[in-house]
Amino acid sequence: MSIGASLRTDPKRELWFVWYSTVAFYSLYSVVFFVLTRTQPPGRPWLTPEQTVGWFADRHWGLLVGFALIFVLGGFSATSIALITYSIRRMSVSRAYAYSYLILYAIAAIPGFLFICVAMTVGAMRPERDPTLMHWLYDFGFLSFSGTMGVFLVGSLIWMAAILLDKNGVFPRWFGYLNLCNALTEVVIAPSWIFQRGVLAWNGVIAWWIDVAVFGMYTVVFIYLLRSLIQRDDLGTGPVPALPPGAAPRAHPLAKVLAG
Amino acid sequence: MTAIEDVSTEAGVDVVGHVPGEGDMWFFVVFESLVFTSYFCVYLYYRAQHEHAFLKAQSALNLPLGIVETILLLTSSWAIARCVQEVRAARYRSAQRFVLATVGLGVAFLGCKLAEWVRLIGEGHTFTSSEFMQHFFFLTGMHAIHLLIGFVVLGVILYQLAPQRRSHQTIETCSTYWHTVDLFWVLIFALLYIVR
Amino acid sequence: METSAKKRLLVAWVVVVAITVIYLWIDRSADDRRVLVGSVAVTVAAIGLALVKFRIILREFMDVRHAPRALCVLTDLLVVVIAVALLSAYFVGRAVT
Repeated sequence: MSIGASLRTDPKRELWFVWYSTVAFYSLYSVVFFVLTRTQPPGRPWLTPEQTVGWFADRHWGLLVGFALIFVLGGFSATSIALITYSIRRMSVSRAYAYSYLILYAIAAIPGFLFICVAMTVGAMRPERDPTLMHWLYDFGFLSFSGTMGVFLVGSLIWMAAILLDKNGVFPRWFGYLNLCNALTEVVIAPSWIFQRGVLAWNGVIAWWIDVAVFGMYTVVFIYLLRSLIQRDDLGTGPVPALPPGAAPRAHPLAKVLAG
Repeated sequence: MTAIEDVSTEAGVDVVGHVPGEGDMWFFVVFESLVFTSYFCVYLYYRAQHEHAFLKAQSALNLPLGIVETILLLTSSWAIARCVQEVRAARYRSAQRFVLATVGLGVAFLGCKLAEWVRLIGEGHTFTSSEFMQHFFFLTGMHAIHLLIGFVVLGVILYQLAPQRRSHQTIETCSTYWHTVDLFWVLIFALLYIVR
Repeated sequence: METSAKKRLLVAWVVVVAITVIYLWIDRSADDRRVLVGSVAVTVAAIGLALVKFRIILREFMDVRHAPRALCVLTDLLVVVIAVALLSAYFVGRAVT
């Protein structure tokens, strides 16, 4: 069977495309933020203006290239939001939950994701800029990234409520409770607006390291659970069937083709 | 992880091999305990590094008030456990009284906490005044948020006690959540008020 | 059978409250005339007693006593992990000073 024919006969192809895009996006995100731009773990909040000039200089090309990639491909961040919204629509709860989640996360992506990219690129673009302005860009970038978690917090709570009220068994209930744990870590980051040093600063052991550990686990879990949903989904509106015990997950059409 | 179906509703029978509430809620208990433990470890590590400064700031705390707060929450745990016993015995009116008692004890705790915060802030001990106070307000603040969520959960129990619902599993699950408020406080109290 | 379950719960409450009140005594004996003094013994005792209460709440109030073995083991493991983590953080912090 040709790839084209395989793709046409699989009714879940769009969902799988979105899921693989989500995985690709999160991989890109990790590489850009942690490796290319080195903006995560975040820079120290207590740097002086002159030190921030040095910080930008150390990362000059990484910032420009890394965030250029984000500006081009960052639109793929929509895939995870869309897939989660789909999962909520698949539940037995009112569509209002899905739409609220979609709107909240779409809005939150602007301050919580794009602002830091813009601010750091602006800083890297003209290294000869006044150190006070560089300091401003540095603060603006990190604070907008970390400090705007409130919107994500509400989004997590909406997903949690939907999961716990759902009668279609889209997600296991423990994942609903994990949403609560994740939502609470978004409260923990709030004091970063006040502290320039210590465990609650934007780079602090509690506000960043522990938070990211919890968020990282949460992200891996929901990507896995979305995959499980797509495998089980009958694309209907009733309870999502369970995978029969011992059954292999349905092979993706591309996999079948690549296997020859 | 699926919960074992509620096996027994016989009056007063202790059901052996019965998971209290949903197994999923126990996932939350374990996970959130570990998250709080990580916060406690950070506090203890930095405390050991700056013992003198921490001791000085800690002396502003009122231990008898801390003891009262702890006893209020321990009693609230007792009350919600009694509620579950009454639900198993199908005595729903009595169960309702115990839930309301739990709410009352939770409100009393919150009142004490607020009074304590106001007093400390009035004396100049704020979130930013010292490293100890940063941890104090952070841990008690996070705990207070869990407590507030607990009131919503107690509301779910009250809702469930209505004749047309009465899901034993939901009631037990909610009570398991409430107990975590007490569990975390027991550790927070020891670490903030007693540890030297 | 019902009364014994109620009684047992009340006894558990008395025990945890008593442990809480013991803290008052520990606190009084730990300080040097109202000045707080650092003490490893007090810290370890405080954490130890807190975990004893933690386990009593789990087993008696949260009914883990009657739960399947897996949950009993899991919650006991949790207590051990918390104990090890807290004491390690404290002693490592002291060693690094």
